[in-house]
Amino acid sequence: MSTATTNQVAKESFGSKDSKLSVLGFFMALPPILVLGTFIGLPIGLAFFLSLGYTGGLNEVISIIGQDVRARDGKLFTLQAYQDVIKDPRFLGDLRTTLLVSLFATILVLFFSIGIGLIQRLRGGKLSSLLTALSLTPLFIPVVISAWALYTFYGGAGLYQTLLKSFGFDVPQITSTVVAIVIGSVWTSLPFAILMITSGFQSIPNALIEAAQDAGAGIVTIIRTVMLPLAFIPIVIVATFTSIGVMGSFTIPFFLGPNQPTMFGVEITNFFTAYNRPQQSIVMAFIVFLAASGIAVMYIWANFRSAKESGRV
Amino acid sequence: MSQQNEIGLELKGLSKVLGGRVIIDNLDLQVKKGEMVSLLGPSGCGKTTTLRMIAGFLIPDNGTVTLAGKDVTTIGPEKRPSAMVFQNYALWPHMTVFKNVAYPLKVRKVNKAEIEKRVHDVLGVVNLMHHKDSRPAQISGGEQQRVALARALVQEPDILLLDEPLSNLDAKLRVKVREDIRDLQRRLGITTVIVTHDQDEALSISDRIAVMKEGKIEQFSTPEDIYNKPATEYVANFIGSLNRYEGSYSNGQISTGSDVVGVRPEDVTFDSKNSAGAVEATVSLVVPRGHFHEVYLKAQ
Repeated sequence: MSTATTNQVAKESFGSKDSKLSVLGFFMALPPILVLGTFIGLPIGLAFFLSLGYTGGLNEVISIIGQDVRARDGKLFTLQAYQDVIKDPRFLGDLRTTLLVSLFATILVLFFSIGIGLIQRLRGGKLSSLLTALSLTPLFIPVVISAWALYTFYGGAGLYQTLLKSFGFDVPQITSTVVAIVIGSVWTSLPFAILMITSGFQSIPNALIEAAQDAGAGIVTIIRTVMLPLAFIPIVIVATFTSIGVMGSFTIPFFLGPNQPTMFGVEITNFFTAYNRPQQSIVMAFIVFLAASGIAVMYIWANFRSAKESGRV
Repeated sequence: MSQQNEIGLELKGLSKVLGGRVIIDNLDLQVKKGEMVSLLGPSGCGKTTTLRMIAGFLIPDNGTVTLAGKDVTTIGPEKRPSAMVFQNYALWPHMTVFKNVAYPLKVRKVNKAEIEKRVHDVLGVVNLMHHKDSRPAQISGGEQQRVALARALVQEPDILLLDEPLSNLDAKLRVKVREDIRDLQRRLGITTVIVTHDQDEALSISDRIAVMKEGKIEQFSTPEDIYNKPATEYVANFIGSLNRYEGSYSNGQISTGSDVVGVRPEDVTFDSKNSAGAVEATVSLVVPRGHFHEVYLKAQ
């Protein structure tokens, strides 16, 4: 009996210690949560309600200043601002441009990073080290500088055109086209992609590759059946982060892209500042957010699949 | 059947330098077809390097590797008639047990029905049919080891190479799995080379043992010979315990001399009559070892 009582006391004392620690942990986590809630959560919430026609309260000032602001007029909400955006002929062009640029930039980033990662993992040596070092260079150059450098390089009478013209090739100007946005996006996204994918390939134990070789597989089969599936998570991370990053980019499409159609990053800014249509710019931002959420679901699914494979779930 | 056909593996004048250090130095070895041979030695003696040259992961600087009568010295591992079980099993975590075992057949484009049949057969042999849909992370170390073995066996190789396959298992499981491997090897009659640094494992599992030292084979013989008639002092010391005396041996007695005489502990007998040749000693330490005791004596 006395043992039981002792155990109970011990349990109670542990229990009270645990709850004290929980409270302490909660208060330690509270400041960053409050900062996030106030400076990110609240503006997102306000913007979302403004897009649905809530023009009062903290949205009142922007609703008065902005043009074409659609109010809910006593209804629960209105989708008028969404209709304005969707019916605007610029919207579909911008949507197509944003999605295509994101898709092509992501494919190219994956192609280069997987290629360099594979060379690094399978061959090693000076060439792969040089390639990796060169591919990390954009990491140390601010995007605005890179964008300007690309603009002058690919622009009219830039080095690219001048050099090719001197060899008799009359090539069109690349700047102010979506091709330039893709090139710029690949430039800015490549370092992170290479770091992720190279580390993914490096973490595959030699024995797993050798076991496939021993089983009779050639190098292409080993890459397809062993290396790519084992580096699946870093590849998905690169694909999702690159596509979301490119989708919401501003500097590269602003400097290098065409005026119209352009990417959402530029168009949202134009609607917000130049056209003074804050509600429509918010609607566009939510549409981009929805697209990015779809990509994020892919990321979560990939993580779940990986956890399942490793027996964690 | 000619003698040549009976040789499962032949290494001739094999040498390998890695990082400026001679790892394998003019090594010769002949393994008969269906025989199980252990490469035994301490870490760094070159046993894994030898195995990797047999498997094709390393190309020797000199010498030849002949598998089942075919010179494979410069052929890559994917084209050799050998299959290897890796130290950490090297199972692909993203594939089920069935897919891991089926992989070698799939890459060789064996038809689906044949793959199904052979994989089921081999999983039956290693008693893992109930785990065919599990992933490697969901099964125990011993079961993973058997999957690795099944993956090697399904290829029906001319030679099976085992790289310290039991080193990651606990002591009890190690004994069971090594018996399973030996039983399987005998039943299938497959030529097998096993790398180990565990003398008990080598003595209990092998037809012959190659004791290695600094890239060379010190002695290549049956476990009985290796234990009872070691060719060198190194072999005698490496296998089992040894009492070492400087002297000469004749008629069951050790007398003064300049030679080295080794006596196995189990050959030391207790003599209460103080017979000729007996040495007086006092017990300095007794270590219980389960089913026997290790007794340390201090000679007077």
